[in-house]
Amino acid sequence: MATAPYNYSYIFKYIIIGDMGVGKSCLLHQFTEKKFMADCPHTIGVEFGTRIMEVSGQKIKLQIWDTAGQERFRAVTRSYYRGAAGALMVYDITRRSTYNHLSSWLTDARNLTNPNTVIILIGNKADLEAQRDVTYDEAKQFAEENGLLFLEASAKTGENVEDAFLEAAKKIYQNIQDGSLDLNAAESGVQHKPSAPQGGRLTSEPTPQREGCGC
Amino acid sequence: MSENKVEMSAEIVQNANVQPQQNNPLSRKLNKILETRLDNDKEMLEALKALSVFFTENSLRTRRNLRGDIERRSLSINEEFARIFKDVKEELESVNEDVHAMSTCCEEMTSRLKAAKEQTQDLIVKTNKLQGENHRLEVRAQVAQAFLTKFQLSGQEMAALRGARDSPITEEFFRALTRVKQIHEDVKVLLRTNQQTAGLEIMEQMAVLQETSYEQLYRWAQNECRGLTQESCDISPVLSQAMEALQDRPVLYKYTLDEFGTARRAAVVRGFIDALTRGGPGGTPRPIEMHSHDPMRYVGDMLAWLHQATASEKEHLDALLKQVTVRGVEENMQEVVGHITEGVCRPLKVRIEQVIVAEPGAVLLYKVSNLLKFYHHTISAIIGTSVATLLITIEDMNVLSKKMFFNSLSLHASRLMDKVELPPPDLGPTSSLTQTLALLREVLASHDSSVVPLDARQADFAQVLSCILDPLLQLCTVSASNLGTADMATYMVNSLYVMKTTLALFEFTDKRLEMLEFQIEAHLDTLINEQASFVLIRAGLSYIYSCVQQHSTQQGPLSTLPGMDTSSLKAAMVQFDLPPPPLVFYDCDYSVDQSTDGSVSSTVSPAFQTAWYPNGGVLKIGAVQHSYFGTLPNFCLWIRQYKGTDPHRTEPHHSVERRHYRVFQC
Ligand SMILES: Nc1nc2c(ncn2[C@@H]2O[C@H](COP(=O)(O)OP(=O)(O)OP(=O)(O)O)[C@@H](O)[C@H]2O)c(=O)[nH]1
Ligand SMILES: [Mg+2]
Repeated sequence: MATAPYNYSYIFKYIIIGDMGVGKSCLLHQFTEKKFMADCPHTIGVEFGTRIMEVSGQKIKLQIWDTAGQERFRAVTRSYYRGAAGALMVYDITRRSTYNHLSSWLTDARNLTNPNTVIILIGNKADLEAQRDVTYDEAKQFAEENGLLFLEASAKTGENVEDAFLEAAKKIYQNIQDGSLDLNAAESGVQHKPSAPQGGRLTSEPTPQREGCGC
Repeated sequence: MSENKVEMSAEIVQNANVQPQQNNPLSRKLNKILETRLDNDKEMLEALKALSVFFTENSLRTRRNLRGDIERRSLSINEEFARIFKDVKEELESVNEDVHAMSTCCEEMTSRLKAAKEQTQDLIVKTNKLQGENHRLEVRAQVAQAFLTKFQLSGQEMAALRGARDSPITEEFFRALTRVKQIHEDVKVLLRTNQQTAGLEIMEQMAVLQETSYEQLYRWAQNECRGLTQESCDISPVLSQAMEALQDRPVLYKYTLDEFGTARRAAVVRGFIDALTRGGPGGTPRPIEMHSHDPMRYVGDMLAWLHQATASEKEHLDALLKQVTVRGVEENMQEVVGHITEGVCRPLKVRIEQVIVAEPGAVLLYKVSNLLKFYHHTISAIIGTSVATLLITIEDMNVLSKKMFFNSLSLHASRLMDKVELPPPDLGPTSSLTQTLALLREVLASHDSSVVPLDARQADFAQVLSCILDPLLQLCTVSASNLGTADMATYMVNSLYVMKTTLALFEFTDKRLEMLEFQIEAHLDTLINEQASFVLIRAGLSYIYSCVQQHSTQQGPLSTLPGMDTSSLKAAMVQFDLPPPPLVFYDCDYSVDQSTDGSVSSTVSPAFQTAWYPNGGVLKIGAVQHSYFGTLPNFCLWIRQYKGTDPHRTEPHHSVERRHYRVFQC
């Protein structure tokens, strides 16, 4: 059968959460377009972006759902957590209140995603060092206590933006490799590329554990 | 040489003879001899040299024999010469003979050549002709080759096209197909020349090739698409290329898209059902149906899932059709996404209908309706406003929930009317009014925080308001119908005021607010008039008041009228200034809220004030101001003239029994 070349081996679904104005949409835009959107309007509901990136030698398509931080959309955005393989939880290092709300965001994320969902904490606007309101160490400690990855980034300069998405993807990929993420289950947040395009039998797909590096 | 010498000596002799008179001949001879330059006379030198060879002995005898010797020598030399020359002559004769022979030979050759030339002439002509022919043929071969490369496929290309039957489609296939197309196009040139037959033949050949190739490509693409039934769906670049090629065959293109749509549709339906009933790995996230007891969560999760699925499917289609340039691709995509998402409509509809029909209450119905509206908006941003069944389903559900919502409101209203509550003793709003307003507040609040864009929000606002407010107003009027005029007006003002304060918290209520304000004013007017006549009657001034009002100049001065004399008036004014007996005033709180500038005004109701202080006091309230220009002012002005005092300055010392009802109870 056809062994046509494919564009990627896996699709990972991500969500970006956090208070309004912390720069979630800017992070997504910087990641997908490599540009900073200085005056970005508030997100209405959810927005969507994709990018293919290479993770541990595998081409992986990231499908990213950027949620609105405004409280009135909470009910809507909660429905987007399900089936996310990765969650970027963002706060603004210049606004302490956005950091203080993290535990509420984390509760939502824990309740509404899989146990395997990789959560990365991102302190955004790292370019505004002079206005810093949350220290690196404090946030780092919070992340460690809660088993989160952590990075400070800037959607403006692009610093660490790529890494934020990459680190999470690496962790997810690692979970696939060691078998802790069950790809055959629906809504694991990861989709494996079809190995036999003709078959169309979901159940006949081999367990992908050992398959990771064969391309 | 010796002969020369002889001649020379003879000459000398002659010269001596011919010119005897010229000097002495001997001396001349001598001179001549002397002048002779032997060095320069080479011949003489040679002669002397030769002589020296054989004349070795200079004696008389030898001198006498010299002549003979010389002659003998000369003879022998000549003989020698003749002998040698004879040889030369013989040689020459032999050479001559050879030359002759050669000449004959040459002649013979020439004639033979001539003959040969005559014989080959024909051949040469023929050869030349053949060479010309050869050249022509070579040119033709080149032309033919060029023709073939231009109008025929190479073996490789042919193989690429043929091979597609049982091996996957590759880049080469597309290159060959492009060539076939090109040839088919180019060959039209031939039809305009005298190569029409070839042109037609090639055209037909290419047409056949094209058809079979397209068909193979279609089979392949169809097969590829048929396999795309898993949740993840990566479109291979070759498949995109196949779609690009197939766009030239609209029917095949459409069938392939249909196949794709059908496969994806199945995948989406399965994914949706899985999400509804199976949930994630190990049960997290939990199946959506686990939340069916929470309508907002249940409906929200389903719609969010569909939103995400729709966005993914649109991406797949974008990838599939990214190289297609034919007009209307965008419509194609919308159509296909519509087809793909059609499958989930039934399960979605059944579930949402269940939620709606279960009558979760007006507020929830309204929230569900708004949620549906939001997702209609969000999803149509992806698949356009085409008539996609999914959008129609969502819209239908929206209409249904809206309808059920208004039904629920109407039901509520008709229940109110069924059992009209009497006004409470304090003439404040009834509990059914407060409850209904609480419902309205909740509905409006949910609208306010809803995710629906502003303009869409405004649309059904009027309907919500009229659905709740109109029956409420009716209810108030009905329940007030048995009250006296003042009580009725007070009750109405109180009720209208609660409505007004409820509405004032929300946007898009300006028109309603204005209407309520207007109604409040009207009832305040009534109240003022009631209070005024009450005060006049109580003070016994009503007769005087009507006299003043009806008085005309023809009647003469007012004081001449009966009962209008100074003492009567003075008595009446004393009565008016006396602390009045306990009066019942219904403070409708206007003065309390708005005139905060003094203790007096803050405790006195506007109606009372107007009656008492027409010219001053608290006239800051629109509703009260209105009556200032009514009937009371004339009267009061007149009274003031009489009293000669400005009642405005007088401290009122009336104890007013007030039944104060605060509107801001919440
Ligand atoms: N200096 C600086 N400004 C940033 C950075 N990231 C975002 N901003 C600014 O912060 C503002 C809010 O950014 P958004 O990306 O719209 O925030 P959001 O989290 O998506 O907000 P919601 O959509 O309302 O939830 C914008 O005006 C950005 O210009 C950053 O890294 N540095
Ligand atoms: Mg945003």
